[in-house]
Amino acid sequence: MDFYFSYIVLAEIYVLLGLSTNLLVGIIGIFSVSQAAVFGVGAYIVAAFLMSGTLGFIPAMIVAFICCVILNILLALPSLRVSGDYFVVTSFGIQLLATAVFINWTAGTGGANGLPGIPPPEILGHTVGEAWEFLVLVTVATGLGCLAFGLILRAPFGRLLKAIREDELAVAAAGKNVLRAKVSAAALAGGFAGSAGGLYATFMSFIDPVSFDLDASILLLTMVVVGGARTLAGSIVGPFVLLALPHVLMLIDIPTTIAASMRQLIYGLLLIAFMLFRPQGLVGEKL
Amino acid sequence: MLALQLFINGLVTGSALGIVAISFSLVFSTAKIFHVAHAGVYTMAGYLAWSLVRYGVPSPLTLVIVVVLCAGAGALIEWQLYDRLKQRRATDLVILIASIGLLAVMQNSISAIYTPNILQFPLPWASQVVAFGGIRLSWAEILTVAFSLSAYATTMWFANHTNLGKRIRAVASNPFLAEITRLEPRSVYVYVIAIASALVALPGVMVPLDFGLQPYGGLTPLLTATIAMIAGGVGSLHGAYVVAVAIAVMQNLCLLFIPGEWSVGITFFIFVFFMLFRPTGLFSTAR
Repeated sequence: MDFYFSYIVLAEIYVLLGLSTNLLVGIIGIFSVSQAAVFGVGAYIVAAFLMSGTLGFIPAMIVAFICCVILNILLALPSLRVSGDYFVVTSFGIQLLATAVFINWTAGTGGANGLPGIPPPEILGHTVGEAWEFLVLVTVATGLGCLAFGLILRAPFGRLLKAIREDELAVAAAGKNVLRAKVSAAALAGGFAGSAGGLYATFMSFIDPVSFDLDASILLLTMVVVGGARTLAGSIVGPFVLLALPHVLMLIDIPTTIAASMRQLIYGLLLIAFMLFRPQGLVGEKL
Repeated sequence: MLALQLFINGLVTGSALGIVAISFSLVFSTAKIFHVAHAGVYTMAGYLAWSLVRYGVPSPLTLVIVVVLCAGAGALIEWQLYDRLKQRRATDLVILIASIGLLAVMQNSISAIYTPNILQFPLPWASQVVAFGGIRLSWAEILTVAFSLSAYATTMWFANHTNLGKRIRAVASNPFLAEITRLEPRSVYVYVIAIASALVALPGVMVPLDFGLQPYGGLTPLLTATIAMIAGGVGSLHGAYVVAVAIAVMQNLCLLFIPGEWSVGITFFIFVFFMLFRPTGLFSTAR
């Protein structure tokens, strides 16, 4: 039973993270392969506070949320100045740089060995230790994220974001504040990724740089693309489908030494296949 | 003395990096594709050469075979992936995601076949060191410089003095006009990616002679090369090459002050600097 719980908890954490990528890549059209870096920053911040015991779970989550909001705004700022393809370079660069920091800044992140023994969250004096309790916590958090995402899509603000993707110049000419809209969207995406990171750190109780590298960012992109960009349903379907994949692969007899490569290989194939034959994903809109 | 040695090392790495930069620049400025999978072709070239050498194929013949195979792989990528996507009026984002998927497929197939560990070429002559008055260079490094400079010169001559070269430049400067004057952009794109893949096979084989092969080692040189292309001015092959050499020299000289694992940070800092102060690059022509 715990096995299914942990699958659902992880998938929900990735739903929250997928919302962040979907908001940036799908809705406003800021290409990003660096969301895993923001996810990692959130995870390391919460881990550091909980392990040193300076802050409780909820204050630590709030700090991580705020830091990631600010960080993501800073990361998205170049996209306001440089267009399209240049920002791709920025995004790859940020991701590689973040991985370098996670691996080499041994004092803060534990380096390649990671940080083991992150204590479970404590809410109102109650320790969330059981898998089902965690499921409730993560479901509430992800539910809030989905609600926010769904409401934004329906609100005038969501239409503004979509319009910016279609034609930025026309939106600016119509007197809308493009800069403010982009910055707000980036802030929200950063908040989603940061909270997902905090939840991930406390749930796994161990984090290392591998969880937040470029492969993780590509996995995230695959989730959004397979589920379907630009819709709430797509962001939810994608993580559940893709996180089930490693379990399906375990049924086939693959040597463990190449299992990780095979998994990434399949993610790559899925990206190509969906772009060629179904750019709208399972339940999304056309990219 | 150490500074001089590092300077020379920078020139060697830079001459190879410059080839990556001009080959990427050829694709980017002609086909307008952000060809991330180019890093996959680069990595593939090294592994193909390693296999051929293992099976006892003489070294010069190996280089020729690898260059031809890579050109074929490049043509196949354009013909079967990018061209298909373009025929379906895919957006740049879709093509980019497909390219990232292809990179994941190539890197992870290599990792599954050859294991993710570092492989060294079984060629003792390559690491033999020649000393010129205190400067130590291996044969691999000397060959890298020789091949890179001749490839650079050949590319420049080709672009300016042959029919196909002129056709490529025509398509790059105005695809629409090229289409109506029957220069057939679609087949030009296939040629361009084939040529670029053949070019990138040279550093792809020469650099690992010294440093060994790694399945995930292609992205950092590609990213650095892209930064060189942008800083040199998109469309200027000379600019891309010169800036690539400059970046490599700077990275090596920075080793005097900063540990090597942060060199991604230095490259990225250069990029941000250019984005802020000269987003069109050093050698760009007016547009």
